[in-house]
Amino acid sequence: MNDSYKDIWELRQPGRRDSQRHRERIKKAIKENLRELIAEENIISSDGKRKVKVPVRYLDMWRFKFGQNRKGKGVGHGDGDPGDIIAKDVKRGKGKGKAGDQPGEEIYEEEVELAEIVEMMLEDLGLPWLENKENQVEIETEEMVFHDIAEKGLPPNVDLKRTLIENLKRNSLAGKPSFGKIVPDDLRYRVWENVIEKHSNAAVVLIMDRSGSMTDDKKYIVKSFFFWMVSFLRLKYSNVEVVFIAHDTEAREVEEENFFAIADGGGTRISSGLELAKTIIEARFPMSIWNNYVFSFSDGENWDTDNERCITLFRELLGMCQAVGYGEVEYSDQFYKWAGWRGTWSTLHDAIEEAGDLMSEERFLSASIVKREDVYNCLRQFLDVNGKERP
Amino acid sequence: MRDNRIADLEQLAKDNGLDFFPVVFEVVSANTMNNVCAYGLPTRARHWSYGRSYDHQRIYGEMGFSKVYEMITNNDPSYAFVLDSNTEAQNLLIVAHCFGHSDFFKNNAAFHGSDRNMARHAAEHANRIDQYIEQHGLDAVERIMDIAFGLDDHIDIHKGLYRKKYPKRHIEEHLVRVGEFDDLLDPRKAKGPSRIREVVNATMPPHPEKDLLWFFIHYAPLEDWERDILDIVREESFYFHPQRLTKIMNEGWAVYWHAELLHQYKDITPEEMIDFARTHEKVVQPGNPFDINPYYLGYRIYKDIEKRWDEKHAAGESDITGRQKIFEVRRDEDDISFLRNYLTIDLVQELKLFTFGREDEEGKDEDEDEDEEILYEIKSRMREEVVEALVRPRYNNWAPKIVITDASSEKICLRHDSGELGTLNFRYAEHMLEYIWELWAAPVELRVKDDDGQDIVLLFDEAGFSKRLLEEEFGFADDDDEKEEKEP
Repeated sequence: MNDSYKDIWELRQPGRRDSQRHRERIKKAIKENLRELIAEENIISSDGKRKVKVPVRYLDMWRFKFGQNRKGKGVGHGDGDPGDIIAKDVKRGKGKGKAGDQPGEEIYEEEVELAEIVEMMLEDLGLPWLENKENQVEIETEEMVFHDIAEKGLPPNVDLKRTLIENLKRNSLAGKPSFGKIVPDDLRYRVWENVIEKHSNAAVVLIMDRSGSMTDDKKYIVKSFFFWMVSFLRLKYSNVEVVFIAHDTEAREVEEENFFAIADGGGTRISSGLELAKTIIEARFPMSIWNNYVFSFSDGENWDTDNERCITLFRELLGMCQAVGYGEVEYSDQFYKWAGWRGTWSTLHDAIEEAGDLMSEERFLSASIVKREDVYNCLRQFLDVNGKERP
Repeated sequence: MRDNRIADLEQLAKDNGLDFFPVVFEVVSANTMNNVCAYGLPTRARHWSYGRSYDHQRIYGEMGFSKVYEMITNNDPSYAFVLDSNTEAQNLLIVAHCFGHSDFFKNNAAFHGSDRNMARHAAEHANRIDQYIEQHGLDAVERIMDIAFGLDDHIDIHKGLYRKKYPKRHIEEHLVRVGEFDDLLDPRKAKGPSRIREVVNATMPPHPEKDLLWFFIHYAPLEDWERDILDIVREESFYFHPQRLTKIMNEGWAVYWHAELLHQYKDITPEEMIDFARTHEKVVQPGNPFDINPYYLGYRIYKDIEKRWDEKHAAGESDITGRQKIFEVRRDEDDISFLRNYLTIDLVQELKLFTFGREDEEGKDEDEDEDEEILYEIKSRMREEVVEALVRPRYNNWAPKIVITDASSEKICLRHDSGELGTLNFRYAEHMLEYIWELWAAPVELRVKDDDGQDIVLLFDEAGFSKRLLEEEFGFADDDDEKEEKEP
């Protein structure tokens, strides 16, 4: 048996290159389908996993093939009589989950790093009006740049061309000017260095309405918004502080895990959340050191008497934050759908408009979300940094 | 593994009547093995889809689900890749196994005319494709390759790899004899013998064409490099076709011979024998209850044939022995005829084979919003049913039969011709029509039946995909084109 070419085979790894290309194609496909993916339950509910499964309907190898109605049967082996049930399978109904276009159709799934999706989705975004503050703890973003060749390194970083040149050199010195068995001395590796970008430090307060009027659909929308927001912040800023506040009529600070496990009820007092945010920022994140952000989400079904208080608090928060965002998940229940209305703004929103000064303040961000796909636009609106460098 | 043992086994194989190409054994790492398996041929042109299979190979290998011990190419010489972590006994098995495969490549009828120099040709293909990528960009080349791979089941193995183009459309003249009383019916015939003009090959294509790739290579308005890519993919499809046609036979044959040769081989230690037996056992395990292992099935059929013909021979009913008989079978049959002719009633019972399917035959959904439980039941243990169920999916290169019925610069019409096997997946068909639309640069129509048995026309043109019911056909069947078409 011949193992003298083993090393040469080892260096020729077309699978890696094509696997790389395959990943690129997946990325492209994902990019073209971001709007749908952003509401993909598989991903949102992947709590804490680094890799998520993405259904890749659009990256199949197309060919003529038989459909569900293929005639014919399988062949198996073992005991039993005709008529005996030997296996069970559950086909999910159309309303549940994302089934294929055709009943029982297999969907090809790809594992993708969550970070990759977040990056594609929000690569040109950031926290707006980020400032250099005094006494700051710096936030690093890491990037790798290959810039040199070394004799020691990791196997995946072998530089093929340089290795072969070394091999040729060594053989030539030995009097045989040709390629031959690769020995460890021949191997050359590419080495990299981390490029460190410096950012200012930031604290982000996320407030979610968990009152009774928040239906499952609405909660899902808010949940997916915050999911992507948090994933994005964690990816882009390695040293960002995120605070989670949940409220109905009372507000409390919660852990991240509990934040997304939604189970509250009762009336709504949006001011309670804003109040707590203010207290937390005053106590922990003085403006001289921190870039502060508050993002609050609700369906706007607030107690009318509370609206005035909210507006005051928004004004106060703007005084201590780089930006304050208020997102509203609009009414979209059956009646309005039936009536053909796209939705309507809440009393709180009307009150904000009446107050006037908030609407003209560009650091006060407001957005409305009607359907799941809007989450994407809303994220882009809140995290748009164009022309918002330093006020 | 010691070279003299390979030589011993080689001699032993030849003494037993095996007739194979020289076999070159290459020892490689698991990583290289994953590469080789993903590509089918180690020198093949790049394509992202191999990257996908490579990833799957790698992940499954790392998780320990599947381990590929060897992989051999149909080539002269045959290149056999052997995993460096194999034990000595496993390697003995593999060497004998590979001689079996190489003998099968060389002698089975399905492999006649297959390219024995494919390892080199594939490398040339790869070079050409690299050049095209340089000239036209990766995206453009990949697009054509995607299309070509989408069509590569659709070749016509009987017409062969190299075919002449259709004869030109031309007019033939015949002399028509006039009978004694013909003028009574047609006064014009009174003048005597007349000439009749007939158009030959008036339609394009002259007969329904099933080698779709060949047709597009020769008749579609393509650039030379695009034509060449289709040609490369078609050539490789022809090369792999016999292997898809003889999976059960080929693996069964190789298993038969590693078992036989190692049984005869004397220079083996008891420990190696145990290790060998253990590996052999893994190779011929029946497989999961819903999918039968082809190694096992093929091996058992050969053993059964051998036993039966030995008995016949002993009883004077056959001129040839069991061993002679299986050599004949290995020469003449493919999987379809192998199963039809030699999977006997007794063997179906002995292997406890059955067919299975959904309990509710049709499985039509009344309420699609509800979760539905699908139950599978044993359908039959009849020999005919089992053979039919095994054979059916193998028809027509494991794919639906699609033919081109009519093609002009205005449009191209295709038809699904294997409706008895099932209906098409329309979502996939939609993408395929788009592919063909790109090649032909004119609207594409595909006639199919839907699940309710209605004739449907799937259409792809500038406006995208649409479908409509085929109208009742009145008048002459040839006039398909003239008919008015309704929008869906």
